[in-house]
Amino acid sequence: MNQKRHMGLKALNRASNTAIYILLIIISVVWLIPFVFILLQSFRVESTYQVGYVIPHQWGWQNYINLWNSDFKRWYLNTFIIALASAVLVTVIQLCMSYTLSRFRFKLRGPLMRFMLILGMFPGMLTMIILYRVLSDLGLTQANAVPGLILVGVASSGMGYYVSKGFFDTIPKSLDEAARVDGATRFQVLYKIILPLSKPIVIYTILTAFMGPWGDYVFARYVAMGTSAGYNVAVGMYSWLTNDQIARMYTTFCAGGVIVAVPVTILFLCLQKYYVEGVTGGAVKG
Amino acid sequence: MASVKLTKVKKIYDNNVVAVHDFDLDIHDKEFVVFVGPSGCGKSTTLRMIAGLEDISEGTVEIDGEVVNDLQPKDRGIAMVFQNYALYPHMTVYDNIAFSLRLNKVPEDVVYEKVTKAAGVLGITEYLMRKPRALSGGQRQRVAIGRAMVRDSKVFLMDEPLSNLDAKLRNQMRAEIILLRQKLDTTFIYVTHDQTEAMTLGDRIVIMKDGYIMQVGTPTEVFEMPENLFVAEFIGAPKMNIVKTNLVKEGSQYFVTPFGAKIPVTGEKGKLLAEKNVQSQEILLGVRPEHMVLGSEGQTSIPCKLVVNEMMGSEFHLHADTADGSRLIVRVPTIDLDKEGRSALVGGHDLHVTFEGKAMHFFDPSTEKNLLV
Repeated sequence: MNQKRHMGLKALNRASNTAIYILLIIISVVWLIPFVFILLQSFRVESTYQVGYVIPHQWGWQNYINLWNSDFKRWYLNTFIIALASAVLVTVIQLCMSYTLSRFRFKLRGPLMRFMLILGMFPGMLTMIILYRVLSDLGLTQANAVPGLILVGVASSGMGYYVSKGFFDTIPKSLDEAARVDGATRFQVLYKIILPLSKPIVIYTILTAFMGPWGDYVFARYVAMGTSAGYNVAVGMYSWLTNDQIARMYTTFCAGGVIVAVPVTILFLCLQKYYVEGVTGGAVKG
Repeated sequence: MASVKLTKVKKIYDNNVVAVHDFDLDIHDKEFVVFVGPSGCGKSTTLRMIAGLEDISEGTVEIDGEVVNDLQPKDRGIAMVFQNYALYPHMTVYDNIAFSLRLNKVPEDVVYEKVTKAAGVLGITEYLMRKPRALSGGQRQRVAIGRAMVRDSKVFLMDEPLSNLDAKLRNQMRAEIILLRQKLDTTFIYVTHDQTEAMTLGDRIVIMKDGYIMQVGTPTEVFEMPENLFVAEFIGAPKMNIVKTNLVKEGSQYFVTPFGAKIPVTGEKGKLLAEKNVQSQEILLGVRPEHMVLGSEGQTSIPCKLVVNEMMGSEFHLHADTADGSRLIVRVPTIDLDKEGRSALVGGHDLHVTFEGKAMHFFDPSTEKNLLV
């Protein structure tokens, strides 16, 4: 009787697992279609415009060569500089901010955190006009958009302290105290004790800080104001989709999309393990 | 090797809670002092102020004659062992112990020599390449002690180092701390809430309550002559029996009259009462459970009824209620009772409890101070 019941449960389990896997495979395929589509289009050389089929009739590297000969190099470099500089600076500022708010007790700590929380609730778009004005006065728009965008990205980065502060809060304070008794300065405590223990959150911070500017479009376009030298890849490539360009540039656009995805994909593949821990870490341990 | 002097040390938190009030204490060179008290009594806060991990609101802390109030922990010449070990989880045992030496840029060959020596003393040599998570609680605590040892500090601070260990391991580590103290021969300040640890380890014990020092003295002093009711009840397990009764002076002889009995205060205690010219008055009488004995019915014994009998191995703890419902605890060595006597000790059994004059402690009911101090 028991054995029968056991077998029944096993069969039910197998059936539900099969159903779940089939569903997941369908979702994965649907999710992958645009990526595969773009990848295939980027190798199509028989026509540069949109066509009614997916698999190219003629394969080649022409679209990538076109990319190399266009302004794309400049845009890519711009984007890379902005993303890299933001990643470094935002990470440093955000982690220092989080450590300070996690470990130090000062009079305005509570009000400051609440203030930043409320401020963070307003959409960033609201500040666009005034930020443009400020950047324009500083001469950091159009061709000088790169430092301007870095400045804007980094300036408010301390406000994103929540996740890493939550993670730091879970590290016992007695570790800091033991290290201080052992002779470490506050900076050494952060550098030698807290950060090595917070690898997932450091990686998470770097990745999100890198990804933001890498995919930025609206503000980047606004700041560059039609000057190609100040474009990032998203703004630059969008200019290829205008009515007069799309017929010539569509497949090049797809090749650009592939190239843009490369560094992010590599980053994620290498750091995926930490990223998942970082996203869930603060919540689970806190 | 250093002395530590605390003068009128006070800790006031931002919310105006006073955690430590006017703490005065002279700790001599190479002395082992234990701060003991219930949770929230300010013992750890005081230790942390000495360590420099907590700001000192008022007063001064001197180490070796130098005021250290404004010095960073690392500059105070102290080493500290924390309750939760506070080992760096991402470092091996070796790196944990070597951490402070490397921060001080000690040459690597000296680091190696010191770390292996400390590990040898503590018996953790074979674990040096392991991470803390691969160690048991006792081994982790040894590493924490090792980390403090290599610093060659003037003062060794320990904040409830054995609290996280199980009872058996705690006893073992307690003995090891006594040995360690002999080897290091330095000044120790040790915080615990466990009075057994305090009694066995300390040269002197500082008993604290609500941020105040209740008594400072050797283990014998605090046990035999507690200055107040709190100390009397805190030191000793099971705690001292306290009953409200009268002290009666008849001529030159004193008596106590608990629950209708009339027990003479004989010996040293009687003499001390006479010397202090204590008059007949209402008192709180304290007698330790181990100083109470089972007697026969009579004027010098208190009749009571056995409620619970706890067999502790080497002794019985008899919980008995007097006629007015007061609970007394009597400790009777197992060896003192024959089989028949033991089998009679069941709930409801009538007992007659008595004690000698030298076992009595007299406290003022209003001030709770010992009348003989």
